[in-house]
Amino acid sequence: MNHDNDKEYVLSVLARNNPGVLLRIAGLFSRRCYNILSIVAAQTENTEYSRILIVVSGDDRIVRQVDKQVSKLVDIKEVTVLNREEAVVREHLLLKVERNLQNSEKLVEIANVFHAGILNVQPDSMIMELTGDANTINSFIELYNPYNVLKILRTGAMAMMK
Amino acid sequence: MQLTGAQIIMECLLEQGVDTVFGYPGGAVLNIYDALYEYRNKINHIRTAHEQGAAHAADGYARSTGKTGVCIATSGPGATNLVTGIATAYMDSVPMVAITGNVSCDLLGLDSFQEVDITGITMPVTKHNYLVKNIEDLADTIRKAFLIAGTGRKGPVLVDIPKDVTAQKYEYTPQPPLPAPRGDFPWAERFEQALEMLRTSERPFIYTGGGVIAAEAYGELKKFAELLDAPVSSSLMCQGGYDQTGPRYIGMLGMHGTNTAALAIKNCDLLIAVGTRFSDRVLCNANLFARHCPIIQIEIDTAEFNKNIDVDLKMKGDAREILAHLNGMLSQRQHKLWMEEIAEWKALYPLVQESTSEEEVLPQEVLETLDRLTDSEAILVTEVGQHQMWTAQFYRFRTPRHFVSSGGLGTMGFGLGAAIGAQVANPGKRVINIAGDGSFHMNCNELSTAAQYNIPVIELVFNNQVLGMVRQWQKLFYGGRFSQTTLDRTTNYEMLAQAFGVKAFTISRRSEIEPVLKQALALREPVLINCHINPDVNVLPMVPAGGSVENPILEM
Repeated sequence: MNHDNDKEYVLSVLARNNPGVLLRIAGLFSRRCYNILSIVAAQTENTEYSRILIVVSGDDRIVRQVDKQVSKLVDIKEVTVLNREEAVVREHLLLKVERNLQNSEKLVEIANVFHAGILNVQPDSMIMELTGDANTINSFIELYNPYNVLKILRTGAMAMMK
Repeated sequence: MQLTGAQIIMECLLEQGVDTVFGYPGGAVLNIYDALYEYRNKINHIRTAHEQGAAHAADGYARSTGKTGVCIATSGPGATNLVTGIATAYMDSVPMVAITGNVSCDLLGLDSFQEVDITGITMPVTKHNYLVKNIEDLADTIRKAFLIAGTGRKGPVLVDIPKDVTAQKYEYTPQPPLPAPRGDFPWAERFEQALEMLRTSERPFIYTGGGVIAAEAYGELKKFAELLDAPVSSSLMCQGGYDQTGPRYIGMLGMHGTNTAALAIKNCDLLIAVGTRFSDRVLCNANLFARHCPIIQIEIDTAEFNKNIDVDLKMKGDAREILAHLNGMLSQRQHKLWMEEIAEWKALYPLVQESTSEEEVLPQEVLETLDRLTDSEAILVTEVGQHQMWTAQFYRFRTPRHFVSSGGLGTMGFGLGAAIGAQVANPGKRVINIAGDGSFHMNCNELSTAAQYNIPVIELVFNNQVLGMVRQWQKLFYGGRFSQTTLDRTTNYEMLAQAFGVKAFTISRRSEIEPVLKQALALREPVLINCHINPDVNVLPMVPAGGSVENPILEM
């Protein structure tokens, strides 16, 4: 359910690296009807802990309730709610686009404009890689759309306080 | 010393002061049951008829004592049969440790016989749960389970143990129970704010929830109410948290609360909510609840602040400690006019159900007679439905832990198992399960448990041949279309009880109420009383769905 005053928030969750911890968090979201827009999880520099970044949409009241409910879980050490304005937020994109002799140069040109990486070139396709905020990634995809995008893989947001 | 996993479980239970467990044996817990046999002089085991009964019994044990209840079940269906009982405990924040067996580690994840992912299943209904795959983690896991279950906002914890772990040997070193971590306490400014609000209020109103009982805050609550000179109301979960025979007590608040409580919430100028989560059964319509007054909420669980309703002052921490601190700061207040007004309402709107004919037995008369015959000192357990509300309305609970009922989940079939647990925990007290005939049929198999162990619970069935509460809603909101709520079962209650080995009595006329209750109370063995009541007796007052708690229906 989206409301006019809904904003996107990034929850940065530090959790003990115990089995099932991601399931506990995800289960809590579904049980309480909080919608997850994206979730990214990986071990931290300390192998005992995982950092889980969850993007949620809602008004301030809902986000505060999400924060409190997640904080209550036994495996959770710390929850920080990051407003998008206060944090550096990055996503990672892999994009495979159809390639032929006519468009090859153009495809490389777009990648260069965005400082994107070209990971693989096949006679009939290319794979590009881009890291950036959601807007940059959306524009990037849009520019490739006319060239027949074959596949997109996009991670959720990672975020760090400024 | 080297012990098997199963023996380590026993030792850890003893460390925690556990003397009674409730359960049912099976293949995956064979080693645990073998150890229970070995420890039978130290740990009493009650085998129920069904694992659900074991979970409810552990729950009844916990609610009536404040200790952590323990239940044991085997893997697969044994474990899943516990789920309703675990969820019941979770919704009412009851400390419980559920131990389940599972298939051996090498068979986990292979859809093996009687294998089920019980940690996955119970995640949403436990405070935390564990799967112990290494024997070296077993003792500490059980210790942590008890710590989590019994501290902060209490709740159930499940420990799932594969069969091979219970057989392996490992070094066991005894340890005293882990100390509870120091909880939060409100900042000094919050107390100053609270004090200012309390000092300036002319019509304060104290509303109490189950947290008062969980925190054992009743002594401080009594003192607080007297210092503040305020009326006290309670949720269903706080029956007995405040002496209901006293003049300050004005009955329940909420869907089936008293009209006095409704008028108090409408007219008060300050609401002090202690240990309550503002359930929808109390708020009814959150937008219309306590609109005219500020609210102070004393609560141990941060997530309960501003969840169902916004409050003006949040005081996070243990209710007993916070009330004690407030009592130390608060000087005696006087609200003579307000208390007189409250007394007038109480006199004007008593809870009444009157019978004029000898043929019509009314629940009120039965419960009031029971109250008189037991000096308001019995432990009353209930199932869920009309009888549950009548019990809360008409029995005068004077002390905590004497009302045992499934408030949050509303589990029909809870009562008999819970009554068995409460009676085992309190052998010197009278324990009576107040049931409706619908709830009775859900888990009546536990009569066999009461009979086998000669657990002297009284099973009082208010038999109206209908699902009374649902029928009442159908009457009000569905034009009297009684879809599937007329039971008319052909069960012969007296013969059924006797078949299980339980004595049975019948009440079908008013003149039989007192003699039958006296006879049942005189016995020290399980008893069933089949009490015939009229299907058209309603629970009143009642706030209709979406309505304001300030305007209950008083007659229908």
